[in-house]
Amino acid sequence: MKRLFIGRTMVAKLFLTLFLVALLTGGAVAAEKVIKIGTLFPLTGPCALAGQRCQSAVETAVEVINNSHPEIKVPGAAAEGVLGGMKFVLVHADHQGKPDVAKSEAERLIDQEGVYAIIGSYNSSCTKPASFVAERKQKLFVCGCSSSAALTKRDLNRFFRLAPTDETESLEFVEFIKYLNETKSAGIETVGLIYENTEFGKHAAEEGKAAAGVAGLKVIADVAFNPGATNLNSEVQTLKAADPDAVFGACLGGDYTLWVRTMKQMDWLPDVALNYCTGYQDPIIAKQLESDGDFFMGGTGYSPEFAELMPAVAAVEKIYMTKTDPSVPFDSDCIQEAIATLILAQAMELAGTTDYDAVLKVFNETEFDSPMSLGGMVVFAPGGQNLKAMSILTQLQGGSYKKIYPLDLADTEPVVPMTDWGSR
Amino acid sequence: MLTRKHISKDVKWWIVVAVLAALPLMGVLPSSYTEHVLILIMLYGSMAQAWNVIGGYCGQTSFGHSVFFGIGSYGAAMAVVTFGFSPWPGAMVGALLAAGVAVVLSGPCFKLKGHYFAIATFAIVEIFNRLFMVWDWVGGALGLDYPLVEEGWMNFMWYDSKKGYYYGALILMIFVFGVVRKMEKMRFGYYLLAVREGQETAESLGVNSTRVKLSAMALSAFLAAICGAFYAQYNFRVDPSMVMSLDMSMKFVLITILGGLGTFWGPLLGAAVLIPLQEYSRAFIGGMGGGVDLMIFGLIIVLVMVKQPRGIMGILDDIAMKSREKKEGDH
Repeated sequence: MKRLFIGRTMVAKLFLTLFLVALLTGGAVAAEKVIKIGTLFPLTGPCALAGQRCQSAVETAVEVINNSHPEIKVPGAAAEGVLGGMKFVLVHADHQGKPDVAKSEAERLIDQEGVYAIIGSYNSSCTKPASFVAERKQKLFVCGCSSSAALTKRDLNRFFRLAPTDETESLEFVEFIKYLNETKSAGIETVGLIYENTEFGKHAAEEGKAAAGVAGLKVIADVAFNPGATNLNSEVQTLKAADPDAVFGACLGGDYTLWVRTMKQMDWLPDVALNYCTGYQDPIIAKQLESDGDFFMGGTGYSPEFAELMPAVAAVEKIYMTKTDPSVPFDSDCIQEAIATLILAQAMELAGTTDYDAVLKVFNETEFDSPMSLGGMVVFAPGGQNLKAMSILTQLQGGSYKKIYPLDLADTEPVVPMTDWGSR
Repeated sequence: MLTRKHISKDVKWWIVVAVLAALPLMGVLPSSYTEHVLILIMLYGSMAQAWNVIGGYCGQTSFGHSVFFGIGSYGAAMAVVTFGFSPWPGAMVGALLAAGVAVVLSGPCFKLKGHYFAIATFAIVEIFNRLFMVWDWVGGALGLDYPLVEEGWMNFMWYDSKKGYYYGALILMIFVFGVVRKMEKMRFGYYLLAVREGQETAESLGVNSTRVKLSAMALSAFLAAICGAFYAQYNFRVDPSMVMSLDMSMKFVLITILGGLGTFWGPLLGAAVLIPLQEYSRAFIGGMGGGVDLMIFGLIIVLVMVKQPRGIMGILDDIAMKSREKKEGDH
């Protein structure tokens, strides 16, 4: 009986403590003027790692915004908070990579949590319904890295996207192939596509096909696979049988690793392998693949090797690295989420108010200074696409992302055709 | 013949419906998120009840119901997105098509028994998922995204308020549960129970078990497809991974088993426990990352099933029995 009594007392104490903590922290938040911002990423499920990194990137940006960081050369970093000291408070949500969950979480963030804007959502298929909800409820949705071109072709008024689209990258790919053919006599005439059968992969493949068609390249292999595949033998076999000169790949995370390893197992490589925003861009995957990852290429919005082009990033990246476990630098995707948060703060500051119409006007009419973006600027077109979004074509050489195209930003000669597996 | 137990069950059912109908009017729902959770409870309760027809009453464990659910979703979505119609005729065509597909697929599958039947239905989900992934006419892997259409019952679409969806889900639940209640009282309902308890014995008494099982599957698929149509309208989107997946199939099964297999109230009770748990755990701790919400969610399901394999209905029955025994003891 005594033990039971002690147990109950302890439970009562615990509840009392929790109640007091909630009361005190609630009071602390209420005492300051805050702007609630919702984040919506896949924190669990197949894209959990990428989603968690994106969330950490937003937290990093909020740390820069909320505190005075005179050492960081980014607009608003020197001041404490926005609009004379208002702080951003983040409310995190997990959409698990599922569009229906993304939609209901966006509703909860807006209706229940009362967020001012939402930042997210990594997967294009989740960004679509979530931003649709935000539009209907007249809230801002700032998207960092979802790359489906269709997102900014919906005539939404409150949706803004920072990253380049699959369409932009596809055009860059064929331009690069044209350059190789003209200057290096690469003789690239045929293209194969390998992509995950999702909103992202399918869109990327469609844009790739369209761009290849316009450039006069013949698409001779079109291979889709289900994400999270445990075996890509038949897919790679199909590519090998068609033997295209170039391959455009849209394989995320572990699928990218599997694709590369299966090609090695089958002892086949195209002359050029170009990747959309995929596992190629993940520095951890590049490290895991070691020399097997070398000579693949892809569009890259950021890599630590770009430090001299974007000197402002280093100080912010230092904060980001303390928020990730294991500690990693920014990658092309998550840096866009940090930029999205910084642009939102900048827009409020320029508007001088949190009033939606005024902030929306700034979003639509301003050329934002963005030292963390490769383009240095952010300008939104009607529909919400960042017109200044750009990426550099890189090639992994010795585990390092080397800039190979456009020529004015390149620092290394591309290795074409790719060095075969036996000669590495 | 109606018994006192039947009448009492019907009265209880209409009390539940009346309370659910009154809740928004009384203004006691604290937020639209609470409305959202109640909508999901009614939707998933209806889905589980649809599955209960074949899985619970007839005893045939199907993991293929997401296919029928998906066909219903695509029916409504294609009516709106592809043809620019109201979703109503699409939902009806989808439901009839689902019933037809169920009969065609189940014919050979019913030749298998027990685990083999369950495995065959697993495979059907994968086949349909792949098929819809590459079928461009239905949107392929990109799926179908709803355009902005006028709000109201004609388009079964609301954006700013959830009241329409709330009453839509309530009507759906009344329809699905009403059909099952009717079935329970009919001879067909007893045939299902007879087949579940012993197919050979039922056949020896003159029950055509194949026809009974096919009819149950068609009815179950029809109801599941209607739920699918609601799901597409509610989420403004449909793609193969959302609807035709093993994950979705598991929800049909899990909710029913958690609530109580082969019982009228089980699916609703299962949904009333599982859905708030899923939604609120995600809302409160999902943002922490690392899937803590999913771990707690899974742990509670394991605990309930270990404690009472007959589900929540089993727990309630035990409580009622103990209370009766205590009363009798007092006398």
